[in-house]
Amino acid sequence: MTPRYTELQLDALRELANIASGNAATALSQMLGREVGLTVPRVLALPLVDAVDACGSPDESITGVVIPLEGDIDGLVLLLISTEGADALCRLLGVEAGSDIGDSALREIGNILGTSCLNALASMTGLNLCPCPPHLSTDMLGAIVSSLALTQTESADLVLVLDSELDVADEPCSISFVLLPSDGGVSDLLTPLGLAA
Amino acid sequence: MGEIVVSKRAGDELVARGLGSCIGLALVDRSAGVAGLAHIVLPESSETDRQPGKFADLAVPELIDRVCRAGASRRRLEAALAGGARMFELGELDIGARNADAVRKGLATSGLAVHAAETGGSRGRTMRVSVGDGTITVKEAGGELTILLDGSAGGAHLPRASATLEGAHR
Repeated sequence: MTPRYTELQLDALRELANIASGNAATALSQMLGREVGLTVPRVLALPLVDAVDACGSPDESITGVVIPLEGDIDGLVLLLISTEGADALCRLLGVEAGSDIGDSALREIGNILGTSCLNALASMTGLNLCPCPPHLSTDMLGAIVSSLALTQTESADLVLVLDSELDVADEPCSISFVLLPSDGGVSDLLTPLGLAA
Repeated sequence: MGEIVVSKRAGDELVARGLGSCIGLALVDRSAGVAGLAHIVLPESSETDRQPGKFADLAVPELIDRVCRAGASRRRLEAALAGGARMFELGELDIGARNADAVRKGLATSGLAVHAAETGGSRGRTMRVSVGDGTITVKEAGGELTILLDGSAGGAHLPRASATLEGAHR
């Protein structure tokens, strides 16, 4: 199923994702003043079609906030926020969901979560990682995930998805936190850990 | 995604959900009641990856071949395409536009005209084909349903007609 990565490498990536999303959860909790729960991350190395299915129903409407990465590795961080979740986040921040200011607030959440995730990855790997300004789109899940994955991989043959769920306490808000490294970015993440592909 | 489906069973519906930069290519022969749909991901195959449904260069001839084997007549085929969006202003390559160009080029090479198309823009789309009457629709995320091919209107090779559905049809 995952010929290009060994179990050991996938474990290492899972651990990276765990610490990165843990940092992001802490940042979100501080921002909202709520507890934020975190699931154990999944590390999926799948063909694109299965990677999209693993994220949800392809024509489900969802808000995606994308933070492209620059520096030593290429890739991107993607937050997938359900419509309900986006409403709840905007309410907690005191802005109107669906408005320009609501979108801007969600982008800012993406920025903070993406940056805290990158800080964790950078300190573990010693890599220089910078977030680019976030993009936001409310659209079909399949369209968002497949289009983004295709910007990171040449073949779409095997897409690596690291994702975990952040749950905001007492709110119908769960955010799927997805790391999409580029083909080359995966080995750049593994090399500093002594697990070069 | 990367799949090709063909049917001649009236009542079947072929669907490509959540098309972003991908292209949905539908071919129908309304007289024979045969329809096919390909969910094309990238413009060109490589030496190492030659999955027929995934790449425009292989998927266009493959889809034509499969609908014809299912009983369609090549000269009656009507083609419609949807997708090829640029969802995010990321990277230098506009994969959606390259996909749309590659599919159009493939159809031209095979001598097929494009009956109707909804490509480009920045929204995701879902494309549906009704096997039997050959109606082809596309719906944009948060938008309206557009009829690319109205199967209830008689005669093949109508001029391009894409109307907005207002509850009257079907």
